[in-house]
Amino acid sequence: MGTKARDVMDSHFHTLSPQHTIAEAVRLFREAGHREGKRIFGMMVTDDDGRLQGMLSMYDILLFIRPKHVHIWGEMEDIDIEGLLESIFRKAAAILVGDIMTTDVVTIGPDTHVMMVLDLMIKKHIRRLPVLEDDRIVGMVYISDLFSYFFKNLSQI
Amino acid sequence: MAISGKRNVLSGLKVKEAMRRQVIHLPKSASLSQCIGTFIKFKVNAVLVTDEDEQPAGVVSKTDLMGAYYADLPIDSPLEMIMVGPPLFCGEEDFLEDSLDIMYGSGIHRLYVRGGEENAVTGVLAYPDIVGLLYRYCRNCKMSSYRRGGEMDFREVMGQIRVREVMGPSVKSHREGESLLEVMEGLSAHRFGAVLIRNDAEEPVGVLSKSDLIVAYKHGVSTDVPASEVMASPVVSCDEEELLSGAIQRMIFTDIHRLFVHRKDPREITGVLSLSDAARARSGSCHACVTSRIKVEQAT
Repeated sequence: MGTKARDVMDSHFHTLSPQHTIAEAVRLFREAGHREGKRIFGMMVTDDDGRLQGMLSMYDILLFIRPKHVHIWGEMEDIDIEGLLESIFRKAAAILVGDIMTTDVVTIGPDTHVMMVLDLMIKKHIRRLPVLEDDRIVGMVYISDLFSYFFKNLSQI
Repeated sequence: MAISGKRNVLSGLKVKEAMRRQVIHLPKSASLSQCIGTFIKFKVNAVLVTDEDEQPAGVVSKTDLMGAYYADLPIDSPLEMIMVGPPLFCGEEDFLEDSLDIMYGSGIHRLYVRGGEENAVTGVLAYPDIVGLLYRYCRNCKMSSYRRGGEMDFREVMGQIRVREVMGPSVKSHREGESLLEVMEGLSAHRFGAVLIRNDAEEPVGVLSKSDLIVAYKHGVSTDVPASEVMASPVVSCDEEELLSGAIQRMIFTDIHRLFVHRKDPREITGVLSLSDAARARSGSCHACVTSRIKVEQAT
């Protein structure tokens, strides 16, 4: 049984450009999900040379579209806010991936032990970890794949 | 023997009912630039700063970052150079009133919350969150100014409140040709979150907030440049006679916390309306209640 990141990582990763709009990114999430047969909620962002620039997750998009003062006006149920969602989505759709992506990305190497990967994911609340070898992206470890790996091996004991 | 005390809609409520369970934190080695990015991304006004052992060491607010900009600190300086510490805490099980007293007495807008078996930092208690909570509770309080009015339908009352009944009348402003340094001095002296910018003809042409300033800091803009280069324009305003509900609607759609108020002509700014004040007015919070002491940083 392999015990390294390379044994659980997905080598068929998908990437975004910092110049993609959020609307394009969401479409690419959906298309990648169809191709991979699983829901994709985050992608690596790379420059023209394929080097990692950041990550864009569903959470980054949700953070952006959340109105800043909703905790105050959210209780005012009698205020007519029809059209607000469309207005928010219109603004968000034009924002560039590079504007809201996470740039402080935690990465691992292909030889990182799966337990270290697990520890990182738990301690830092990360659901996906890019795998780099000599500064080049070689894969991505998703928390769901890590769970499947443990589940498969646990069930064989 | 009966014990009489202050009547307060918050009586009996605990911190855990108002706190937000999201603690945005950065290590004290993180740069000011990184911190500003975090403010923008998470739409927060302060971050908790942690030491090497990931324990709370201080707090950095937008005001602290503006101070760093004013002092011309390099943008890659570590947060430990400007953080204010130690942070003040309350417990999840503490009474909200007691925590508000600490905030009020210390002149701060937020307390970090400890809880759980390990007494870890589990959240933040901030004034704006309490304002939202109050809206719910005060509206149902039997002492609410609207309930005391009799049987009048709440919606009918809400539909009659005008902006002039709630707005703050005082507006300070700076000229568009004044430097960012001068505007920062004004913001700091008056403890404002934003200020109106006028042209030489005294017409309002923009608004300059602490958020605009820290973004300028991150982008390397010199503090000598005129306010006109960084301000947000045009000024979003409403008429004094407009219904409060319409003004709130405008704040919701533009995602802002304050609207300048004009009298007939948008060039004649007469006051400012904050979303918090609007919420408090609509909730019917009475002045006898300790909750009326809650003040969120004003624009002018």
